[in-house]
Amino acid sequence: MATEDVPRGHDSLGQRPGFPLRPGRRGSRVRAAAIGAVLAGYAWAAGSAAPFSTTALVCVLIPGVVLAAIAYGWPPRRIPPPDRLDATGMSYWVIVVAALFEWEASAFRDNSLPWHPSLTDLVNPLIGPHIVKSAAILLWILAGWALVRR
Amino acid sequence: MIMSTRAITIAGFAIVIAAIFLLEFLARRPGSRIPTLGQWLGYLMRPRIGRVLILLGWWWLGWHYFAR
Repeated sequence: MATEDVPRGHDSLGQRPGFPLRPGRRGSRVRAAAIGAVLAGYAWAAGSAAPFSTTALVCVLIPGVVLAAIAYGWPPRRIPPPDRLDATGMSYWVIVVAALFEWEASAFRDNSLPWHPSLTDLVNPLIGPHIVKSAAILLWILAGWALVRR
Repeated sequence: MIMSTRAITIAGFAIVIAAIFLLEFLARRPGSRIPTLGQWLGYLMRPRIGRVLILLGWWWLGWHYFAR
């Protein structure tokens, strides 16, 4: 609504749009945008690496080494884990994860692509296009960062 | 015959993945007893060995899908 532009209550200069008197916030946004751009560029470059190539291996090794170094040397502020988990609630997750592993293991053991494809057999064609593979790599890096914060 | 078996396999994966999203959705409801994916992963990562194994699993996934 238009009235949302009107300052209400005390009119602090620092809270007006266009007056960034809090460089920390603006700085963090700029930094986040810069990191996002670098990660997207990295994912795009990594997505072009041919499978089973040294380049592809290095492209996967670099995020692992960087995140391991951050986790060990400069750990970020972590999201506190719960003290305990509800056994009933957690059992649903255990059932689903066990079903996923069992289904994948049976496909792997069957070793018959047309009859019983594994999850890898199904995912590989999906991430064939460069843009999809790059998006998946970016998602993988972000998931790694989320894990480091846990 | 081949198609039906393949379809069953794909349907199995689809059901399990849909169940993961459903559980995450249910876990995010207020007052839910189901932990979110991040919560139980964080719980498993409390001991150092859990943290190392989960991060190794994450890296293995990347290697498996993007380097091979």
